[in-house]
This record gives sequence, C-alpha cells and structure tokens, in this order.
Amino acid sequence: MSPLIGRAVPRVDGHAKVTGGARYAADTHVPGVTYGTLATSTIARGTITTIDTTLAQAVPGVIAVFTHLTMPRLVTPPSPYPKGFVPLQDATIHHNGQPVAYVVAQTLEQAQEAAALIDVRYHAEPAKVAIDDAPGEEFLPPPGPEGPQEFVHGDPAAGLANAHKKVDATYSSPVHHHNPIETSATVAVWDGDQLTLHESTQSISLTQQIVAQALSVPQNTIRVLTPFLGGGFGSKAPVWPHTLLTAAVARQLRKPVKLVLTRAQMYTSSGHRAEFRQQVTVGAAKDGTLTAIVNISNQQLSRTEQRVFNTSESSWMVYGCPNIHAKQLGVRLDLPTPHFMRSPEGPALVGLEMALDELSYELGMDPVALRLKNYTDLNPENGQKIGNQNLPECLKLAGDAFGWSRRNPTPRSMRDGNELIGWGMATEAHSYHARASSAWVQIDTDGHALARCGTQDIGTGTYTVMTQVTAEALGMPMNSVRFELGDTNFPAAGFSAASVTVSSVSGSVDKAARAARDAVIALAVADPHSPLHGAAPDRIVTEHGFLFLTDDRTRRDSYQGVVSRHGKPVEATGSFLNVPGYTTGASFIEVRVDPWLGRVRVTRAVAAYDIGRVMNHRTARSQVLGGMIWGVGYALTEHTMIDRHTARIVNPNLSGYLVPVNADAPKIEAFFVDKPDPTSPVGAKGFGEAPITGVPAAISNAIYHATGRRIRDLPITQDKLL
Amino acid sequence: MRVNVTINGDQRQADDVWEGESLLYMLRERLGLPGSKNACEQGECGSCTVYLDDVPVCACLVAAGQCQGREVRTVEGLAAGDDLDPVQRSFVEAGAVQCGFCTPGLVVAAHDLLRRVPEPSDPEIREALAGNLCRCTGYEKILDAVRLAATRQASGAEAR
Repeated sequence: MSPLIGRAVPRVDGHAKVTGGARYAADTHVPGVTYGTLATSTIARGTITTIDTTLAQAVPGVIAVFTHLTMPRLVTPPSPYPKGFVPLQDATIHHNGQPVAYVVAQTLEQAQEAAALIDVRYHAEPAKVAIDDAPGEEFLPPPGPEGPQEFVHGDPAAGLANAHKKVDATYSSPVHHHNPIETSATVAVWDGDQLTLHESTQSISLTQQIVAQALSVPQNTIRVLTPFLGGGFGSKAPVWPHTLLTAAVARQLRKPVKLVLTRAQMYTSSGHRAEFRQQVTVGAAKDGTLTAIVNISNQQLSRTEQRVFNTSESSWMVYGCPNIHAKQLGVRLDLPTPHFMRSPEGPALVGLEMALDELSYELGMDPVALRLKNYTDLNPENGQKIGNQNLPECLKLAGDAFGWSRRNPTPRSMRDGNELIGWGMATEAHSYHARASSAWVQIDTDGHALARCGTQDIGTGTYTVMTQVTAEALGMPMNSVRFELGDTNFPAAGFSAASVTVSSVSGSVDKAARAARDAVIALAVADPHSPLHGAAPDRIVTEHGFLFLTDDRTRRDSYQGVVSRHGKPVEATGSFLNVPGYTTGASFIEVRVDPWLGRVRVTRAVAAYDIGRVMNHRTARSQVLGGMIWGVGYALTEHTMIDRHTARIVNPNLSGYLVPVNADAPKIEAFFVDKPDPTSPVGAKGFGEAPITGVPAAISNAIYHATGRRIRDLPITQDKLL
Repeated sequence: MRVNVTINGDQRQADDVWEGESLLYMLRERLGLPGSKNACEQGECGSCTVYLDDVPVCACLVAAGQCQGREVRTVEGLAAGDDLDPVQRSFVEAGAVQCGFCTPGLVVAAHDLLRRVPEPSDPEIREALAGNLCRCTGYEKILDAVRLAATRQASGAEAR
C-alpha cells in the first residue's frame, strides 16, 4: 500500500470551510453576549490628564465604560507576554492606538458610539517613530529567546582586508503588518470561576497561561477554544492586551463579552514586523571563496519591550565563511511592540542575499556558482552538522527548472518588446523551533479512531496532515480517523509559529497512534476468538483497518472486531519533543519591468526546498505558493506608513496597505527534495517560514538584472525605478 | 426597525435593527448566519460577499434595512444539503482553501462569475475575483478551482 503520508489528499476541513460551517472565534454564538469595543489613544507618548465618560455612559444600551481609573487591576504577565505593560492600568501612553477605554454595550453599534463620545485629554510629549528619528540611540539588546544579539567567528576585519573584492552596502525595509484576513477576536464566557475563551490564537496553551497570570487565577480554571483560525502569520501567536482586558471585564460584569478588533486596530494591537536596516559587508577571494560576512542590523523596539526576533542566523548557518560578524542592534521608538511576522529571519537574509548578488557582479561570477562555492552544512558555533541540508540539490532542482543556464548576466540584456526582463535568485533559509507536545488516540468499538492534540490549524493544514499521520500509524483508511485540535482540555502542545507545528506534533500523534495500535494488537493475540490468537505481536501489521499476520495474510482480524469484542474503547497517549533544525531552499524569479513606468511584474517563480519528508504534497506546495506571494508583497508593495509628526499609521486598512492581489500572483513551480529527516519519527522538518525568506532578494536581484538599478530600500515601488 | 428578508429561501425577520446596521451584522449577529466573514468592514477584502437579489455585494456595505422584502443568498445557501455546489467542490479539490476565512466570499464571487461567464479566461477570473483578498494561498489554486468548476459545469452532468 502506498503510504498516506506524502499523499496530496484534500483538506479534511475543506467541506466546513466552503459551506460557511467552520466556526471561527467571532462566529461563536453565546446567549446573552454583550459587545466590547476599544477606545484608543490619539497620541503616541505622554499621559492622560483627564478622561470624561459621561456622554458615553449615557448612550442607550451601554453597560459599562472602563478606563484606567475604573478597570479591574491586572498583573502584567512576564515574558513571553510581549507588551511589558497592561493598558488601562495607569495614565501613561506608550504608543498611538493604545487602549484608553473599554466599552461594553448590548450591541456593537452602541459600544462604538459610546467609545467615540469619550473625551480624553492628554499631556503629549514629542514622539519618535522612525529609525531616522533616533540617530545614535541604537543599543545592543540583551540576549533574546534565540540567543545573544552578537556573533563573532574568526577575524572579520582581517577577512575583509584580505578580500579580492568587497561589497559594503546598506539595505532597509519598512514596518510590515501581518494582516491575516480574520481580525483578532475574543469571546469571554464566565461560569462561576470557570472561564471559557473562544479565541483567535495561534497558541491556546499560551493564552491559557498568560490570561491566568494576568487575572491571578489558576490556569486550570481557563479553557481556550480555537477550532479554526483565519490566518495568523505570527500576529496571533503572542497573547495581546485585548484578550486580557476582555476576560477581565467579562468577569467584572458577570456577562459574556465579545470583542473583535477592527482592521485599523490590528495595526496597533497585535505586533508588526519592525522597521529594519542592515549594513552588510561581504568579501571574497578571486575564486569566490568568502573571506568575511559582516551583517550589522538595527531595528525598531518599543519603549516597553526589547526582545529581538529578526534573527541573523543565516549569516553563519548557510555559507561556510571563516570570518563572520553578525550584530543585531535595536532602537526604542514610540511605537507598539514589534513581534515576529511570518519568517522573522527573512529581513537579515534579504540584505545578505542582495549583497551576494552584488558580489557576484564584482567577481564576474554566476550568483548560483558563488553560493555553491560557499555552501556549508556545518554550524560554526559548534562544528556540528546542521541536520540534513540539501541546498545544492535545491539550487539544481529549481535552477534547472527555471532555465537559469540560459541567463545572460549582463543587466538590461534580456528584453521582450519594450519590456525589460530580469532573472534573479536567492537562497532561502529559516530555522524551526522545538516544542514539546502530547497527543491522545482512542480506537472505538466501531473501529473508528479519534485523535486529539491541543495544537492549532492556522490554515496550514494541521487537521489534514495529522489525520494522515494518525491513519498511517494505525493502518486505517483516513475516513475512519477524526483528528481534533484547538481545545486546552486536550493534551498540550506548543504554539503554531516558528515553523514548529508539523515537526513537533507529528511526533506525538505518531507515538500515540502507534501505542494505540500496539494495544489493539496485544488484545488480538490474547483473544481466543481472534484469528490472530497466540501470534507474536511483532509479526502483525495493520492496513486499511485490518490486522494481518505478515507471513499468512489469510489470518486477519479488524480493529472493529478486536475492540468490539474487548467491549470498550482502547486509548493511548504519546509525547514528543522535536529536534530544532534549519530548512533551506532556493528561489528563482523572473520579473518584467516597464522601463517608462517603472512598473514591475513578477511573472515566473521557481523554488525548491529541503523540508525532510513531505507530509502532504498539496499542503506543502500551498506553503510555497503563499510564501512566494508574501515575498512579492515584501519586495514590491507592502509598507506601513507612519506619519512622523502625528506618530499615526497613515494606511491602517487593506486599501492603503497593499497586500498582493490575484493579479500580482506569478506562475509558480515548487519542488521538494523529499528525504526524511532522521530526527523526526515521521521524517518531517519545519517548513512554513522558509519560503519568503529569499524571495524579496531574488526579486530585487532580478530587477537589477532587468534594469541595471540596484534598489536597496524595499519595497521597490515604481517611483524608485523612474 | 423590523426587517423582513428572504435568506437562502427562508423567510426571516430581524427586530430592533439599527438604521445604520449592515447586512453583514444582521446576518452574523442576529440571524445566526456567521458564514459570511467580517474582515475589513469597508468593502476592501470581499470576505462578506453575498447575493442580494442575484447581484453579488459586500454585505458590510449594504444597510440591513435596504434588504427589506428582498432576497439574500449566502455561502450557507449554495449547497443542497451535503451536496456541494461544483464551485465549492472545486475549491476543496483544487486546494484553494487554506485558513478558510476569505473562502466564503470567494466561493460566492466565483459562483457569480460562472453564472455570467461559463467559460472564463484567466484574465476574466482575475478581474472577477480582484475584490477578494487572500493572505494564504497565493491565489494560484483559487484560479485552478474556478477553472475546474467551469470545466465541470461545461460537462453538464454536474451543473445545476
């Protein structure tokens, strides 16, 4: 039988999603629910001097208006709560869009009307919102979740001094916002001292933990439910203040409260990718051997938090170079706390991959050859091999399919009529984390299996892939297996971020399913009514819901037969901690540029990745397609604009913040090396974030090839090419 | 005010509707039909697309009161029981669904396109779906789904 794992089966939750039957947090129906809304600050720095809620309180239907003077006191949770403070606890304003009041009313309109009538007076102080506003204020933040902010290997100065050719350039990218299509939502329902949160979160367990800390209640009094999530991309991985506030006001009022952030509020309430600037200096010998990589970055931090996520690991994990210096500086500005956004290691790689393209031109060397010359799979930190990495194979798979060998490297050399054609490439790389997870599998007397794990499906396909993993481990058809997630009553798992879900959860699900299978086999061999009675358990295999003797397939039983004779369901659990790792790939891009209008179209993209064993070719491919369009947005359209005088976001909406649309999508081909990772029971590596990481550089490199213009400040909008 | 409206063939009534209230709010919060999604509240994303008298609209931009005496068809009304519409089936089979939040609006918009243009060209598909934003799929599979649905409807056997 061909294995279920890897097969491009359609999503098991597809039916629910195309019929409107999938229930997201804001879809939850709770009798007697009341509606919350946030009033937010209009200054970025200062204090509230007076706040008058008289008119707001008088709006019909208004149940309560909470300000920093009347809000129940909450505890500021420790890290990983990303904010450093809880709003509505004092008069200090740390950023524009900070909640200054929480209104609860019978209907949303009433709450919104009341929020608009709150009269807030401030003592405002001058605010800084751009890196350029704070020259000289950058500092080296303390070590973060991914280690120290500075990495030195060898003698970078000597490496640069000895280089035959050098590139020294500054690259920059603006603030980005995740913009999942679902805005964040919380429905808080108290029953006595028990809280149920219907939450749009990438981490039900973190939500449970952080809310418990903020409210000073035992964690086990809180149940968090997220059966479906309308995208997150990192914005819903941390727990943000609106969740804590909603839980607190619902407790105070003894009424269920529903809060759905507006699209505009999503721009100040759930993190963003920080403005990022990096100086990259690379040097190489005549034959292209790298002599030094120096990658010094600076990024925005908030006044209340200094964790850095845009890690520069790619500076030492991809290319073997004897002299490396990576440093991640930060600068505190009067903006909300930035946080990880799909592929936080992308920004540091973008500059490096653009610099390597520049270096290839300095050397007169093909950019693919330059990367192959320097590729490594040894970690210079410890000299150990970095898991299984097949960057050369990715470069070959994608490069051959793209037709890279036909490229004339001279800029402006390829045309189609009036249009300039450019071909560019870049390496892609992202690490994936380790998280412990546990799962539970039950085989019922009807021969059906139910698997449960407190993980999430953020749109990537957890429901589907874990159904495949369960079915394969049990030896059952997929339609006999049901996989459930998104409930803190299930065995716990980590967050669905940092490309961790598949590599972590597949291990525990596989283990639990195998333990359940083995328990059923044990029942069969002990059961005098079973044709398998007395057989050695290790001679029994399971397929299609049946148990066979390996050397005599006429002796068989079924899950249904064994478990129904047993008279009660068989259950088992499994736990697993995955090994963190590093995933690489390569993307090749074709752009067409209108030389008169500066208009860029990405017309063709070919990418290849080593993601270990492919769990489902359909959902894995979807990660590539989605990542590619994110790369297009990063390179060409996405830019959160912040007015430096008012410190306000100018485009907090989907008409001003340009998420790529249908017509921006290129033709995309995706390839996978598809070799099992030995550290995973099912061979899976983490993957979701590796696509994107190199795409902005590949697009920029292609634009250089098309036009001869090296644009180092993203996004590359039309004005920059005129 | 009271609004009487036919939704997915059923006569429905909503009371205490505020004059400024959107059709989307009435569907989701008063009538128990949360399939249509609220994602931008200003007609930019298409996630709330429904039929109003056979014309696709953003339900967030239509006042609930405007629907008095009219017919609304939502994503919940496209399938006949468990029997999915070809557009819905194609979205599942082509892998056009990821997180699923934009899907209800896209399914209605694609359904409308194929009623008007049974065999659309790629530019026609892109134009028709230009008002529906998706952050997960990269759009390619959505185009595949519409092409697949068009083929199915053209074959006739599955059209309804």
